[in-house]
Amino acid sequence: MVRASLRLRERVTSGDLGRYLPLYSRLDEKYRYAYKLLFPALAMMFVVHFVPVVWGVTISFMGVDANYIGDWTSAPFVGLEHYAFVMDPATTIGSRYWYSISRTALWSFGVLVGTYVLGLTAALILNQGFRGSFVVRTLLLLPWIAPAIVTLNVWRMMFLSDSGIINHALMSVGIIDEPVFWLLGDQALWSMTIAHVWIQFPWVMIMLYAGLQSIPQQLYEAASIDGAGRWGKFRYVTLPQLKPVSGVVILLMLLWTMINFTTPYVMFGGSPPSSVEVTMVYIYNFSFRAFAFGRGAAMSVGLFVVSMVIATIYYRRFIRSDLEADTQ
Amino acid sequence: MIPDEWRPSEETTDRLFGLASKGVLLTIAIWALFPIYWMVFNSFRTRFEIVGGDPSFTETSLHYQNYIDMWSRVDLLGYFVNSLVIASTTTVIALFIACLGGYAFSRYRFPGRQYVGASLIGTQLIPGILILLPMFMLFRTIHDTVGIQLIHTYQGIIFVYTTFSVPFAIWMLRGFFDTIPPSLEEAARVDGCTRFQALFRVVLPLAAPGIAATGMFVFLVAFNEVLFASVMARGDVTPLSIGIQQFMERDQNHWGEMMAASTVATLPILLIFVAFQKPIVKGLTEGGVKQ
Repeated sequence: MVRASLRLRERVTSGDLGRYLPLYSRLDEKYRYAYKLLFPALAMMFVVHFVPVVWGVTISFMGVDANYIGDWTSAPFVGLEHYAFVMDPATTIGSRYWYSISRTALWSFGVLVGTYVLGLTAALILNQGFRGSFVVRTLLLLPWIAPAIVTLNVWRMMFLSDSGIINHALMSVGIIDEPVFWLLGDQALWSMTIAHVWIQFPWVMIMLYAGLQSIPQQLYEAASIDGAGRWGKFRYVTLPQLKPVSGVVILLMLLWTMINFTTPYVMFGGSPPSSVEVTMVYIYNFSFRAFAFGRGAAMSVGLFVVSMVIATIYYRRFIRSDLEADTQ
Repeated sequence: MIPDEWRPSEETTDRLFGLASKGVLLTIAIWALFPIYWMVFNSFRTRFEIVGGDPSFTETSLHYQNYIDMWSRVDLLGYFVNSLVIASTTTVIALFIACLGGYAFSRYRFPGRQYVGASLIGTQLIPGILILLPMFMLFRTIHDTVGIQLIHTYQGIIFVYTTFSVPFAIWMLRGFFDTIPPSLEEAARVDGCTRFQALFRVVLPLAAPGIAATGMFVFLVAFNEVLFASVMARGDVTPLSIGIQQFMERDQNHWGEMMAASTVATLPILLIFVAFQKPIVKGLTEGGVKQ
């Protein structure tokens, strides 16, 4: 065993590896160097991303439950049974699954709109470049810099119905007459959206600001000469020029929110009100309380497929053309 | 129609617009900073003041007892140290690996480059819940066959977090490396540097703001992660993200102590950010995710 590995090492170092990996030897030396540099990252991604994803998909076709958790390979193969079961809206589990997906969609959409509008507004104003804009920019990053695990608890405290500052402020201004239960019922989704927008908008802001900074000034001058006003410049110069950055920001914001677990879990814990039981939380509770791992895996694959479809369509439509333009 | 002489001059509308936009920005800034202020403010209030719900913003008594009690109510120091060890080790290793990968991804048009790019983005859409259980089983298998303990240990959770942040870090860093002209390294190589030395002595120092911004990103991901920590980092390595919830889980909510703990947990991150704010903000502003 040791001798075999020594011999292999000898072959590798003497450049003899080509006999075993013919494709590799035909590669240009500088490409080999690129692969070597990427190797640690790709190897880790293989172990932590690729293998578990394939494993997870496999489990979703098998009857893995508490009995088989020790030796999952002996669990029976059930084909698409789990998928049919968890996606059947007639059952309690299936209807809750679909409901959780609709909640996830609503939440992700709300976060996307909120962060983009706020982020773009702040970025546009910062881009006017007044004195002290660096300080403001740094301060506006704080919600994103402060650990989410602590700030989410601050938001939860602020949303408390009896002693929370938000109800107190709204009542003293006269917008509401009696305390609102922000953390219960449908309002909980609003509260969670507001808190998450607060955490994420600085990232959107700074990305869009970076995009604004790279727009050539001449375009605005040309637009001025053509008689464009403030709105015209925004509509015909800023927005189109921001398209590549916006494309990436919107896609990542959407995907990151869809598969986010931290915000609902920290704000609402193990038994959230149903309006904030997004798919990630539902699957977590379902898998680790009922020990129905096979069914849980089927639900996860469903979520994965949804995000993959969104990402693919979006990538083809908005991002690929820019990426190709970049590499030419 | 408005008569021409009633129309405000361009100068006036410019000034009004500037004023209005600063007003909007001020509103956003207050909204952004209030929760942080509220956290610190409440960490100095007694439980009765907090539950009473009537904030007098001019309260003068500094109730610092929360800062004493919080250490004994939960094992705060232990969780805190765990989080710092996990997050900072993750940041160092992930940055090293991502610098190598990002450099290769930026400089070489090797065959299969677009597949590498697609798989980097692809990892961003894997729901953690899908790979949580398989990874738990995989780690147990590794323990049973090779004997390396990865569940409930530093090395296990650091390995997981490092891999989680590497793809996005590569993507970010690649954008920064793109902005550095390759002619600089070529010059260094003519002067006798190896390719590796050229990377470390010429490219990385120039990409420092980008590396700082990416590092902040990686650190935050590792510090905030909850899902994998809740299953794979319990016992002696429980991080703060799990431990801090204990202020709620016991007999009653200890808001004051929780806010004190939150303030203390925010401090080191804030200090790192303040110390490196110029490169971090510069790096974020130059943007590594342009495409």
